[in-house]
Amino acid sequence: MKTKNSCHPPESSFSAGGQAKESSPVEPIAWFQDMVPHALEYATEEKAKGKKIVGIMCEYTPRELIMAANAIPVCLCGGSAEMIPPAEVYLPSNLCPLIKSTFGYSIQKANPFLEMADFLVAETTCDGKKKMYELLAERHPMVVLELPQKPDDPDAFQHWIKEIAKLKSELETRFTVTITQESLRDAIRKMNRERELRRKLAELMKDEAPPLTGRELLDMKSLISCIPEDLDLFEKALEVLPGRTLDPPAESRIRVLLTGVPLPHGAEKVMNIIESNGGLVVCQENCTGLKPLLEDIREDTLNPLEALAEKYFHIPCSVMTTNARRLDTLRSLIRDYKPQCVIELVWHSCITYDVESYFVRKMAEEETGLSYLKIDTDYSPSDSARLAMRVQALFETVRGKR
Amino acid sequence: MIFAGIDAGSRAIKVQLIDENNRTLASGLGEQGVKQADLATQLLEQTSAKIGINRDDITKVVATGYGRDSLEFVDTAITEITCHARGVIHQISEAKTIIDIGGQDSKLIRLEGQGVVQDFVMNERCAAGTGNFLEVVARQLEMDILDLGKYAEKADKPAVISSMCVVFAETEILGLLTSGESRENIIAGVQASIATRIASMGGRQIADPVIFTGGVALIPGMTSVLENTIGHSVVVAKDPQFTGAKGAAIMASELN
Repeated sequence: MKTKNSCHPPESSFSAGGQAKESSPVEPIAWFQDMVPHALEYATEEKAKGKKIVGIMCEYTPRELIMAANAIPVCLCGGSAEMIPPAEVYLPSNLCPLIKSTFGYSIQKANPFLEMADFLVAETTCDGKKKMYELLAERHPMVVLELPQKPDDPDAFQHWIKEIAKLKSELETRFTVTITQESLRDAIRKMNRERELRRKLAELMKDEAPPLTGRELLDMKSLISCIPEDLDLFEKALEVLPGRTLDPPAESRIRVLLTGVPLPHGAEKVMNIIESNGGLVVCQENCTGLKPLLEDIREDTLNPLEALAEKYFHIPCSVMTTNARRLDTLRSLIRDYKPQCVIELVWHSCITYDVESYFVRKMAEEETGLSYLKIDTDYSPSDSARLAMRVQALFETVRGKR
Repeated sequence: MIFAGIDAGSRAIKVQLIDENNRTLASGLGEQGVKQADLATQLLEQTSAKIGINRDDITKVVATGYGRDSLEFVDTAITEITCHARGVIHQISEAKTIIDIGGQDSKLIRLEGQGVVQDFVMNERCAAGTGNFLEVVARQLEMDILDLGKYAEKADKPAVISSMCVVFAETEILGLLTSGESRENIIAGVQASIATRIASMGGRQIADPVIFTGGVALIPGMTSVLENTIGHSVVVAKDPQFTGAKGAAIMASELN
């Protein structure tokens, strides 16, 4: 599961009728295989030029506001199994691996982005993260956004706007800058463009024969948004990928909608198990997939801060109660992406997604008639054979129903 | 024509040889070990010898079970979910729920009409709801696993075994023994805890008829504990530990 470290020259063969195989990635795909070094190079250069670095750990944190303060938001979510044992010295073992891994990076001083961050923006999402942040705050300067959790309550939304406004002041004070309407609008336009490009890429998977694998799509994003080269390569990908064929052919694989928890860089185990056992993940309803990309921020408004707060408040995370918006999102994704089954990934001890899986299973089985499988696991590869068996059995079941 | 199914389980290997009418010609049972492929090959050969045939006389072979992918000589590998369903449907065509308890796995399979698997649930990374739990207890109480049922029947008040983990349950059982709890009550308590695990897997969605397969179905007393816990009558499959192998053999006969 190791990703390549060296930089590969761009593939020259992809232009030959778009017949590239999965095993020989086209240039945009190859580019994102070195995402971490690219992001690190970018962050280092920009920091040297005087830009600030702000670490974020959740899709509810509005990147636009940080960008408008002339700073770079970097995602710090940990995907490494190796960072978990050092974290367990301080945190209970019965905690979600994403939380432990993120914290373990701090203990080991192994995440260069965390080490170069001027401060962190955390948020009150699940209890595990919220309390881990208290330990993390002993080690790094931190601001915590209080996320209200009743998504359709107007008072909750007003509180969220206040929290966003406080973050704005905090950024202005810490970095002695002024976030103007114009700088905010500019950041919104940039992020809207990135979201649109990534959304269009994801939409290539609607095709009967998608031109890339779920794993390739998962890799086509960065810890840092809006790096100019990345945006260029998203555009290039949209030009060159249509018509590309996969080996084995996409038509022979079972179309899977993957929902639940995010798959941070390094934690692609379940994606790999699905796709190496005859599946093709055509849609990811999670924070490393479509969930944060589905809604843009309104640009035609006199109050960009409120528009920004609105977009983020609509993200259907399982910390929300009730989270009907997630089920509606899933219904429309199932309609558009035509999966043959739904696999829900729950990181071990992620209580909110685990409990909410009741509604997802019910919706999938009763409303859409799709087979549903919940996978509860952590970052360790020790259960891979057992998980592969469940996935194979699910696919046999899907084929049996056809 | 002769077809073979091999169920390479976590604790035992099972072989079934069938004819083109799905009639069992011979069965073989062996212990699982490190050299899975060798052990499975030997067992297949021994079982073939029982009816005087060679490996070459077998038209197709399907492997299932935990070790299915390590057997290179077979025609294809199919998961134990599909094979168990096939094996059960062959015996009891109207089956709706299958409870399979093996050495290290337990599973609950729900079937639609015509034996199509609707969905399945399996135990997670823990052996608490499996045959392994009973093995541990039998060893600890120094008795044969097949005698457990005789003792459990005499229990007046099954002990409460609360540990979620076999390793800790061992300690808990030791504590119960020291505090003077009877062996009968301890065994009944362990059986009840396995049944409770299965019941929580099935939730409220258990439909009749319920068929019980896997090696644990051979242990006297398990069926009645299971019936009491899930509130449904339970039918033990014929030769329950061979259900997966039989299903695999039938699927071998259906390969084109």
